[in-house]
This record gives sequence, structure tokens and C-alpha cells, in this order.
Amino acid sequence: MSRINCVLRVFLLIFVVGFLFTCVLVSHAAPATPDGEALLKRSDTFRNGWPAYVVRVRITDFESGRPDEEHLYEVSQKGTDKTYVDFMSSREKGEHLLMLGDDMWVYLPDTSRPVRITPLERLTGDASNGDVARTNYAADYSPVYLRTEKVGNVECYVLDLTAKRKGATYHRILYWLRVQDARPVRAEFYLTSGKHIKSATFDEYAPSSGKELLRKLTLYDEIRHNSRSVLEYSGAAPRSLPDKLFNQGRSDMF
Amino acid sequence: MNRNSLIQILLILSVWVSARAQDTPSPEKSRVDARYSVSVIDDATLYGNRNDHVPEVLNQVLVEPSFSIRSQSHLTFSSSMIGLAGTYSDSYTQLRIKETYAVLSAGDFDFTLGRKMVRWGTGYAFSAAGVLDPPRIPTNPTDRLNLNEGRDMIKADWVHGPHAFSLAWSTAVLAPAAANLHDTTAFRYNVLVRGFDTALIAGNDREGDAFGALTFTRVLGQAWEVHGEAVWREQAAVLLGAKYTISGITFIGEFYTPPNIPYYSYMGVSPLAGRQHYAFLTISKSRLRDRPGWKQWSLSASVVANLDDRSYTPVFDASRWFGNHFSSYVHMDIPRGSKTSAYGAAPYSAATSVGVRFQL
Repeated sequence: MSRINCVLRVFLLIFVVGFLFTCVLVSHAAPATPDGEALLKRSDTFRNGWPAYVVRVRITDFESGRPDEEHLYEVSQKGTDKTYVDFMSSREKGEHLLMLGDDMWVYLPDTSRPVRITPLERLTGDASNGDVARTNYAADYSPVYLRTEKVGNVECYVLDLTAKRKGATYHRILYWLRVQDARPVRAEFYLTSGKHIKSATFDEYAPSSGKELLRKLTLYDEIRHNSRSVLEYSGAAPRSLPDKLFNQGRSDMF
Repeated sequence: MNRNSLIQILLILSVWVSARAQDTPSPEKSRVDARYSVSVIDDATLYGNRNDHVPEVLNQVLVEPSFSIRSQSHLTFSSSMIGLAGTYSDSYTQLRIKETYAVLSAGDFDFTLGRKMVRWGTGYAFSAAGVLDPPRIPTNPTDRLNLNEGRDMIKADWVHGPHAFSLAWSTAVLAPAAANLHDTTAFRYNVLVRGFDTALIAGNDREGDAFGALTFTRVLGQAWEVHGEAVWREQAAVLLGAKYTISGITFIGEFYTPPNIPYYSYMGVSPLAGRQHYAFLTISKSRLRDRPGWKQWSLSASVVANLDDRSYTPVFDASRWFGNHFSSYVHMDIPRGSKTSAYGAAPYSAATSVGVRFQL
């Protein structure tokens, strides 16, 4: 009997030690890989607060640190692939832009017809038409989780986004999202050639109509390094937008 | 609880309810959008080697105000005018109505009444399908002085999903006699299918021709856009064009062949000349941001040619912005060809325009 007790005690000791060791291993094991799709969808809500909404965007271009030009747009967005942009600044008054899925038109008062924009034309300007009109990355890009790293003091997930539709503005985006809530922190934009064309910092967020939304974004030109654009968002509010606002056949109603 | 306390509670409740009701007024119900702009252009055009009846210099000052009001997304009123003062062989002033129209929106329908510019054609320098469009002038496709006017019309549009139907009746009663316009009834069906922006157009000019047209535009790959028109009005007219963009430079080329009938007649072309063939090519770059100090510049060079009589006109344009409101420009066209040709018939050998524009 005492021998059986001894064996049982040893067995129990081994079991307890093994259990404790396993607990230690599990607690230090690598966490499950974050779900890139879920993170990307969550991050889009900081730029697209409602299924249909209107927002004003003021873009200030800086050259060599000094403000150069200013542009003002009113962006009406419905869903992930319908955007109508009204150009409000004096230089561009009367211009409009329509995005439907992978197709984009611009209406310039001094041209004789609405103009179809090619993907390369979407990249013109420090802040391109695509930067203003296409902000739903979950619809345009396939994400892959790369790593977790700090940007300043902020712990971030790093996602590698690859364009999954031809309407996407960029071929690839490196995207830093805050770990605690997937709020965008930083991004790098790449062309099909692999050229790093722009970088972005998501500088300010503020509550707007009950949602925490992006308030200020800075785009840095990685080709002309003395050039950057600051995008300031204001007046974001949900709006009931009719589908006919987003029809290319109404070009004379733009 | 006594009566006084109950009254006090009810008063507090009613104040709270009315305050909540005023907190967030429905944006839809209270929205009135108003937009306005004013453009002032001072233009001087010098004609070189001109015919005797053509003065050497044309001076023009144009004031072009416009405004639009949209109420509750149902009713829109818009108006734009052109005030023109000029000195040519003598001094003159004109007030033209570019557009003045009202639009009533009801569900998927829009009803338009008034003078409005409509753009159904897909061509840049030419168009046969733009039956209600302002006229295309190949040497001035951008209407740089904004002198185009709309047509007086009643129009109904129905938009549902990717489909858009338009039915318009336009009268030429108020149009200048030289405009060669008729009362026109036209129908257009537009649909976006697999990237093709396609339209079918049919209609009739009173005391003129019936017509039908097919138009399309399509983006191919990263840098190409193609567009075309096929029109039947007594005879066939065809337009094919393409746009190519590389490094911010845009190339547009078009080939156009209309029949030589009164509707398509062009100054300098004999009525006996038969079908004509035109070509257009433009190279442009706006915002030369790649060049230090050239960000505010835009440049373009074009040539339009009649392939039958070998006449052509090169056109050069340069413009520069100064700040957000002022710009200046230079425009030059140099018609070449025999005196009986489409472009050689111009009463001058070169026209150079310089001007400044203020925009608010």
C-alpha cells in the first residue's frame, strides 16, 4: 500500500508539473494571426462612417514647406463603389467627378463632353482623384498581415494590401493600423512597377455626428520630396443619396 | 403628488421634448444649396495677313456670372449669362443667355425646362451624335471663352440602376438664324455594360431629317480610352477616337468622316466635294509639376486636318495660373491650305489671342 501511494504521489507530481509547464507554454505562445479582412473593414469605418454620407475635403498643397494651393471638394459617397465629387474651389468650379465601381468620369466645363479617366490619370496631382474618391480599401484591396510594430508610441498591425480590382488607385499599400481599434496610423502607396509613389500619415481624428472619423491626413510625395498635401475633412454627415446621382447617363445634370 | 407638482413635471417634460425636437433638424428638409461663380475675361486677338474686310484686332471683355439653387434635392434652378463687350470693325455689347433652366426631380425622374447645354456626343473635336450639343469647333474644342449656349428645351430623364432614358424636345424659335437649328425631338438610352458607356440616340428635326446614332466610350488597360460614334442622317457619319496618357501627358486622336450634306456643311468645302475625312491630334500636359517653377503652366499643341483637300490648322495653347483666381493665356491658330479648302478658306493666315481671366 505504501508503495502504491508512493507511485501515485509521483504520478500526481509529474502530472501537476506537466500541467503547469503546459500553462506556461500556452501563455507565452504566439497569438493567433490577426484577421486582416476584419481589420481592414474596421479601419475603413474611420473614413466612411455611414453607408451613404457627404463630407467636405479641403486639400492644401505645400511646396518646400510653404502653402501653395488650396482645393475644396464636396464628396458624396454611397456604398463602397459610388462616389460623386463636386469641385468647389474657384479654379475648379463647375468640375465634377463620378466614380462607379472601376469606372471614373470627370466633367470639365471647358471640354465638350464628360471624360473617361484612365487608371493612370487617377494618379495625377499630389492628392489624386483616387485619394479623394476611393477610400474603401476593403473593397479594393486584399490584405495580408505582416507583423506588429510600433510607430512612435503606438503599437500597430502592419498589413500588406494588394489591389484586387482594376479600379483601385494603387497597386499595393503598406498599411499601419492601431492595434487597439484598427485606426489607420500610416500608409505607403506603390505603383504596379513597384515604385513607392506616396506616403500618408493619418494625423487627427475627431467625433463627427456621433462617429470618430478621420479629420486630417497628410500625403507625402515620395518622388518630389519637397511636396506634400494636407487633406482636412469636415462636415461629415449621413445623407440619403438617390442612386440617380451616381449615373453616368446624367452627365448633363452634373 | 399634488396638482402643482404635476404641472411642474409636465412643463419640464414639454420643454425637454421640444428642445430635443429642435436639436437635430432633418438635413434633408432644411437643405438649400446655393452655388455661384463669376468669370471675367479680357481677350485680344490679332489677325495676321488678313483679308481687307477683317480688322487687325478684336478686343473682347466677357463677364460670365452663373448661379444655381437646389432646394431639398427636388427643385433646382440654374442660370448663367455672358455679357460681351467688343471692338471689331465697330464697338458692340451683347447679353447672351448661356443657360437658364429649372429641374424638378421626382423619384427616378428629372424634368427640365429652359435653356440648357446637353452633351450627348462622345467626340472631343468632332461629333455627329451630339444632336443637342453646342457646336464643336475643332480648332477650339474647349470653347476657351465659354461662348457656347444651350438649347431651349423640355427634357425628361428616367434613371434606374445602370439605365438612363432621356426624351427631349428642343425648339429653335429663339435661336439665331445663322445657327441653322431646327425644332428637334430626340430620345437617348444610355447604359454602362462591362465598362462600355454606350448610348442609342434617335430623333427627328422638324422640316429636316430623322436620325439615329450609336456612341460608346471604354477604358482599356491603364492608359487608353477609346470612343466612337456611328450616326445615320441621310447618310452615315463615323467618328473614332482614342486618348492615351503617359507621365501626365495626354494624347488624343480622332478620325471623323461626315457626309457632305447641309447638316454637316463646313465653310470652304464645296457642296459638290462629296464625303469628307478629318483627323485631329492633340498633345497636352496640364500642371507641369515635374518642372521646377512650371507647376502653374499648362501647354497643348493640336492639329486638325481635312484629309481630302490637305488643308490643316495647327493650334497652340499655353496658360498660367497666378494664385487661385487669376490666369493668363496665349492661343494661336495658323490655318493652312488653298483658299477653296476647309481650313485654308479662313480670312487670315494666323490668329493670336492673349488674355487674362479672373475667376471667383
